[in-house]
Amino acid sequence: MAFSREIYKALEDIVGKDNISENISVCETYRSIPAQTSAHYGPSEHWTPLPQAVVMPGSTEEVQNIIKVCNKYGIEFKASTTFYSTMGYIGSDFALQLDMRRMKSIKIDAKNMCAIVEPFAIGATVQAEAMKLGLNLNIPGVGCSASTLANFSSWVAFGPNSISMGQGSENILGLEWVLPNGDVIRTGSLGSGDGWFCGEGPGPSQRGLLRGIFGTAGSSGVCTKMAVRLHPWPGPADFPTYGMAPAYKADWGPNFKCYTLCYPDWKSWARSVQYFHESDVAYTGHRQFNMFGRDLKGAMIEIISNPDGQLADLEELLEDEYIKEQTEKMKLDYQIVIVGFSEKDMEYKEKAVDYILEQTGGWKSEMMLDKDKHDYALLYMTRLGHKNLNYVFCGSYEGIFGLSSNVWKTIEVVEDAAALKRKWEQDYNHIAATGGDSSMGSLSGIGGGGATGWEFFANFDAYDKESIRGVYKLSDETQKFHNKYAFGPDFCRWNSDLRRMDGYNFTQEEHNEFYKDSAQPWVFAYQYKIREAINPNNLCGSYFRTLDPKCLEN
Amino acid sequence: MESMKQNLVDIVGAANVIDSPEVLASYSKDESFATPMKPWFVVKVENAEQVQKLVRWANETKTTLVPVSSGAPHFKGDTVPSVPQSVIVDLSGMKKIISINRQQRMCIIEPGVTYGQLQEALAKEGMTLSTCLRPRANKSVLTSVLEVEPRLNCLHQFNYTEPVRCTEVTFGDGNQIFTGEAGNGPKDLQKQWELGKWQVHSNGPAATDMLRMVLQAQGSMGIVTWASMKCELLPTIKKMYLAPANKSTDLEDFVYKAIWARIGDKLYVMNKAYLASLMGETAEEIAELKKVMPNWVAAFGLSADILLPELKVSAQEHDIMEYAKQTGVQLLPRVPGASGEAVLEKSINPSGDTYWKQTAKGSFQDIFFITTLDRTSKFIEAMYELAIEAGYPTEDIGVYIQPQHMGTSVHLEFNLPYDPNNAKEAKKVKDLYAVASREMSKLGGYYARPYDIWANIQLNKDAQSYIMLQKMKDIFDPNNIMNTGKLTIK
Repeated sequence: MAFSREIYKALEDIVGKDNISENISVCETYRSIPAQTSAHYGPSEHWTPLPQAVVMPGSTEEVQNIIKVCNKYGIEFKASTTFYSTMGYIGSDFALQLDMRRMKSIKIDAKNMCAIVEPFAIGATVQAEAMKLGLNLNIPGVGCSASTLANFSSWVAFGPNSISMGQGSENILGLEWVLPNGDVIRTGSLGSGDGWFCGEGPGPSQRGLLRGIFGTAGSSGVCTKMAVRLHPWPGPADFPTYGMAPAYKADWGPNFKCYTLCYPDWKSWARSVQYFHESDVAYTGHRQFNMFGRDLKGAMIEIISNPDGQLADLEELLEDEYIKEQTEKMKLDYQIVIVGFSEKDMEYKEKAVDYILEQTGGWKSEMMLDKDKHDYALLYMTRLGHKNLNYVFCGSYEGIFGLSSNVWKTIEVVEDAAALKRKWEQDYNHIAATGGDSSMGSLSGIGGGGATGWEFFANFDAYDKESIRGVYKLSDETQKFHNKYAFGPDFCRWNSDLRRMDGYNFTQEEHNEFYKDSAQPWVFAYQYKIREAINPNNLCGSYFRTLDPKCLEN
Repeated sequence: MESMKQNLVDIVGAANVIDSPEVLASYSKDESFATPMKPWFVVKVENAEQVQKLVRWANETKTTLVPVSSGAPHFKGDTVPSVPQSVIVDLSGMKKIISINRQQRMCIIEPGVTYGQLQEALAKEGMTLSTCLRPRANKSVLTSVLEVEPRLNCLHQFNYTEPVRCTEVTFGDGNQIFTGEAGNGPKDLQKQWELGKWQVHSNGPAATDMLRMVLQAQGSMGIVTWASMKCELLPTIKKMYLAPANKSTDLEDFVYKAIWARIGDKLYVMNKAYLASLMGETAEEIAELKKVMPNWVAAFGLSADILLPELKVSAQEHDIMEYAKQTGVQLLPRVPGASGEAVLEKSINPSGDTYWKQTAKGSFQDIFFITTLDRTSKFIEAMYELAIEAGYPTEDIGVYIQPQHMGTSVHLEFNLPYDPNNAKEAKKVKDLYAVASREMSKLGGYYARPYDIWANIQLNKDAQSYIMLQKMKDIFDPNNIMNTGKLTIK
């Protein structure tokens, strides 16, 4: 349903003529293929609904006024910044899309190691500014081109360096947030005008209403500013790189090393991960290049680290004896970056890595010690600027399994999971045949180690309906696998209870059915009460799991 | 009243419902200046089921419950009832260490578990728990972490809430859930363990962080009956250095550098009054120590556990000495009056029977809040000026600066010892406490844990937060039965 002239005028008066559009060709660009994971193209044949208008607010005050208009006229609204995820798109036909790109400031308090960022400050920019001051930030797995604020506030935001920096939630300090009812809250010390340094309290933390194990994906209003904790960066201030696009590389001297560590069996692999969890040795830890698949990763690394590399080289490289041998040797691997704050510190960290390998029977991948590969991987892991490679095989991909737990639990099933995917690769042509195991993920999803998760890349063709449907069927199987081993929702189904496959919101009745029989239904009943308190007109879509408490009345 | 008592007896048994005048009197006040109020009953609970029944009963009868887990004495006013006819819920008898898991570096404990009890059990498994500074011998670990008492090692405080992870909580409305990742599984720890889940992740269970609803809440939102906590490996090498200074600002660059370089596992700054109080066993000894100790000391601890410990410590020692040199600080194994080793031992171990802050004069009043390190000197100067105006001896003011949350902020604490038997002196401290608390707030001190009079001061500064706090209270404790009167504007 199109907005009335009265509504459009009210919005236009807030943001100005240049920052609003209802032009169909503009609005069409604010639609997405629904994905049930966070940042992937899902195996779906639909698109999210068409917004009736798009606005680009330039300040918190404008956001607040827009939300007031939405409340007055009952308009659904959703804010997004880099639009990397379906979560940021609206889910009904009477809805307004907020595009936050005008709000992009970054202020850094170097002494107290934090940056105050607006929504469109992307990871790469915040990182670049931080590095000038000897600081760095946790860039989540989504990559450096995505919004730092959106990731930290509204989704999970763990990534390769979460082991030493913590994940998004752990790095949030003060927050400024426009609630769906139009109220602006400023959490912790910010609320009383004392500064951005603490986002908690006074007393119980109101930020807990807005950010749990993941964020509310835009369903609790609009976060407009955030102080994020920064972390030390003892490297160069200007982030020097060399080489030719797209195979840029970095050599920051002897105090920066990226190793691919390999192990003879999963038990040794897990023990080594535990060592890194228990020490402060790893700056970055990620199983990254296995996303190309157990059989293909050696050849793919050869291609992507070479500026002239082509996917067409793959077949020939797969026949190369050296690559074959190296690929086999890094079957059970992950990448780490160690960073020395001094020569002595680096010496200790190098020896600690060697000790861990000695204790676990592991080794460093010889192929990845080659300077070209090393420097490529170092840059890749530090900046996460190569997300395009996720799509390289077939144009699209979906994460399956997820295996979110501790490493000791996941290693018991990872080969079975790989076998299930391998069988699908061999029996059908819905997904790329990469060798079964294409699991990847962070060495730790939280600071200091503990929680991990391993998604398997299932590369598919989003223009081929058979491929789309095939991946969905595969995820039925992987979900059964997850149920069998109590891993919870499959990665491909994480949000399947939050947006319908046709791109529209779920109703409350549907949510009630989902959650009334859950193990601890009051979790969702409390969320219902929270929504009632801050979003009484229920204007932000269905990305907030709610159960009407009446369903629990006996 | 008798029928009320019978209700309580039905829930916890006759032996666990106490209304003797002496016991009620002991819970009617603490060592702070909070207004005394006699409770109706003291009820000793033994398990979560009893807690839930008690909360449901309190909702039916509109009775206020005041949860207390640590033994006396108390010092912040949070365990003193604010309304008449309150029931004290004494959880100190729930002393079970439910599990210790070396592989996951996790432990799960009940509210009555003390630091001494827990550290001893963890040491047997080669682990330890990060601690607040020299806790009381009978201090509940669970209360200490829920109230976010600052940890000595800010560098492993990835989350503001560290080291607590998941909890079992009965909210004020009588509903009970697990928080954090534990809220996503069966509501049965044994079953979760069988599924390989060890209550590691604190956030959640879903898009709401339920742990944060009970954090810093002074028991005003619900009652926690167990908590899982992240442990550290027990160090095989421990060292502590002390950096003396004339002014607190002389140490700032060093502290910032150590935080930035991620070196060490203990880091805090104290003035001589505070350090003397920590180290002295008697009032006389404290007085003597104050005469010889440096004005200010930064305590810097290094440790290593199982991964090439000697090499690690040697590398870190080398680097920190270099950073000390660069920032104009001398790191010494001892300063006049204290060795680093002794400071470390005092800091990490529980206090004796008499709480160490009481040794100097018998009682004390703390003023603490959060700020950033570079702003601490302005608060310290203001505090000394206020003390001079109030006629309180500035040399008695203890100052403790504890970096937290990986150094993004600091806990700044002023300790004002006084003789509780000297009415004039007590009055002077009470007045100074009131004036200085307001002044610190005006200067930008943030009372994240707004005890006693700080609730008025802090919440009056931020109307929107107060409105949100009330909304939270309406959701989780709609009948306002949990520690009624706390965290409110009076």
